Amino acid sequence: VPRNQKTVVVTFGGGARDEETFAPEGQENIPHLMKELIPQSTFFTQVVNRGILGHYVATASLATGVYERFDNFADVAPENPTVFEYFRRGLGRPVNDAWVIAPSNGFNRMGQSGGGAFAPGFGARVVLPKHLLAAALGKTSNNPSGLEFLLQDNYEDILFTPPSVQNEIQLSKLAEMLHLSAVDFTHHAQTLSSADELSAYVMRQLMRQFAPSLLWITLHDMDVAHTGAYSLYLEGIRRTDRLCAEIWQMIESDPEYKGRTTMLILPDFGRDSDFSPSGNGFQHHRTGDPLSRTTWMMAMGPHIRQNTTVDRALDSVDLVPTLGAMMNFPTPSAKGRPIVEVL
Amino acid sequence: LIAPAELRAESFVRYPPQARSFAVANLPVLQRMPLILIALILRQAIQYDWCFPAERGQLSRQLDLMGRMDVALFDALMAPFSAIQLSSELRALDWVNQPQHFSEQLTAYLWSQHQIDRYHEAAEGYQQSLQKTLAEKPVVTPRWTLVTVGQGAPKTELPMFRRLLPHATLFTNVDPAGGLEVLLAEIGSRARQYSLEYGHWYIEGGEPHADSNGVPGLTVMSYASLVPATKREFTLLNQFANRTDGGGKVGVEAVSSYVAGLNPDDLGLKGTSADEVLRHFEVNVLTQGAGCQIYSTTFVQWASRECLHRAQPLTLFARFATRQKSAPMEQLLARDPLQQPQDPEGSLTDADMGAYYTWINQSRLAGAEQSRFLVWFEGHSVVCAVSPTLPRGTTSMASANMQQVLEWMR
Repeated sequence: VPRNQKTVVVTFGGGARDEETFAPEGQENIPHLMKELIPQSTFFTQVVNRGILGHYVATASLATGVYERFDNFADVAPENPTVFEYFRRGLGRPVNDAWVIAPSNGFNRMGQSGGGAFAPGFGARVVLPKHLLAAALGKTSNNPSGLEFLLQDNYEDILFTPPSVQNEIQLSKLAEMLHLSAVDFTHHAQTLSSADELSAYVMRQLMRQFAPSLLWITLHDMDVAHTGAYSLYLEGIRRTDRLCAEIWQMIESDPEYKGRTTMLILPDFGRDSDFSPSGNGFQHHRTGDPLSRTTWMMAMGPHIRQNTTVDRALDSVDLVPTLGAMMNFPTPSAKGRPIVEVL
Repeated sequence: LIAPAELRAESFVRYPPQARSFAVANLPVLQRMPLILIALILRQAIQYDWCFPAERGQLSRQLDLMGRMDVALFDALMAPFSAIQLSSELRALDWVNQPQHFSEQLTAYLWSQHQIDRYHEAAEGYQQSLQKTLAEKPVVTPRWTLVTVGQGAPKTELPMFRRLLPHATLFTNVDPAGGLEVLLAEIGSRARQYSLEYGHWYIEGGEPHADSNGVPGLTVMSYASLVPATKREFTLLNQFANRTDGGGKVGVEAVSSYVAGLNPDDLGLKGTSADEVLRHFEVNVLTQGAGCQIYSTTFVQWASRECLHRAQPLTLFARFATRQKSAPMEQLLARDPLQQPQDPEGSLTDADMGAYYTWINQSRLAGAEQSRFLVWFEGHSVVCAVSPTLPRGTTSMASANMQQVLEWMR
């Protein structure tokens, strides 16, 4: 494994079903994944999430390699060590070499575990682009800016207020680190159409400023499905499809990343089947039926076989040991197994 | 803290009158149930006074059957539920008087203990076993569900009714003139012909059509009339959610329990004692359905689902309207959805999926193989019809009007 290898993980913190993505009837929603990325990737058709189907707890489980059991809406850190801590301690990497870009509904604690296996200080920096924008809006004199749509938050429970952000690095410091002035940031935000686009924009800034070796971004627009509007859910999927292609282009056009970066894309889980009597189809992910637990993963990069499909079932918690094996750091508490097809 | 076997008639003293009588009458069988199942049963039983006749009948038949089972069979039916271990905290909850709260806590516990799949398997096995044993109650006449989508939408290039096509005949040359009136006349006629309490429904995404006024036996529910109740709901929820509780905000579970406890008076839903069941149903729809407060398309889909599931009507007419355009949630919760710019194209896609879900939900009811289902792109010439009298997966370009299509479906 080359010493300067980098890894980008893209997760969808809003489940997507096969029917609206890779099943024949869904492929029209993901032209970029189908035509641009699949030919360059190894595609895993079955990734099964056997844990709690809430977005924060499921994403945290992806990041620890253990099915976390905490309340999805609680302001808690994952119990088990995160891949960011394994990475930084295992390879002796500095703080700016691991970053998480996350939607703001509670994900602020996912950079570092709270279980005591690691001393504090080995986690990833977590940036919540919506908080950044909210702070920037507060500093500009143009309010109301019309940018409230970019601050769109949790869809799962419409009256749920995200817990206060305690561990986030100071917003002004972050803006300074990213060389973002409030005016520039706000101005750029006006050219965007969604919260996920804002996340992709912040990702670009991070890549330019720090070129982190481990970068994790969670996209969330498609979780608008919880409102029951199918058209908005499809719109979210189409936007995510486009953003995945743009992220790969960002990687391929950045000298720090080009030719040395592995990108892994996976939804955290699916959504309920149309035929599960206790559910309401695409709207939620509450039944735990096979469709809501089963999703896919795409892997691409210089060491990954192209245009290859793998049909054996993976487990969601296989991700962390795979990252450890790819980047050469131990992940002792992770429960899954390395995915041999990408090693 | 009591176990099911310790239940007494006095345990139900806080239940509404009919619910109390029902629980007391079924005490012997309730005492034999494992806690998980009894809490599920009581969640429905405590609402007995506001249940539809179909729900009451179903609940009674279920408990009658279990009461008549021999010990071995009963124990075998209960075994999957008994095998799920519960925490002492759950057992200590007041599951008799707050079965809804218990149920929420149970769900969270089962997820956290990775037992939710076992629970679903147990529940599914239980349902299947009951269905097998309980004779399906015959339907006096085949059910009809009529759906219109695209109210106010221009012609579209979107492929319509794709999911229904394998089960249906697609009519592509139907004269739209007077179509709505024909459908309304049909539901009115069925309501008069087959008198059944809460047996015939009209669920409207906007303002109810004038032809539905005063139709005897027709239950009418509309998004427009319930918007004030949704505003009231949000106001109450905001007040509750922002209440500080020991220094911090109240949690999601507390908000859920609060919502579950809202009643028609809380939401300003006025009516007479004769339609109390409907008022409670409206509250349930608004408080249990995500998104049906802000989007009229979600309202029609969810209300139809709940209507079919709970009231099991002989006739349902579900008319989708346009929903407001998307906006940040804060704005959606604060503004009047009827006074906003609308999204006709998005609404059409939503309603197309909603129609499909309505067909699926109708298909779950007794007599499904004889049921009829029609969905019309309102104001246009495309109708999709499912009926045992029509071939499946075919397209008919024959010139027709709505009345003829209905006749072909009979």
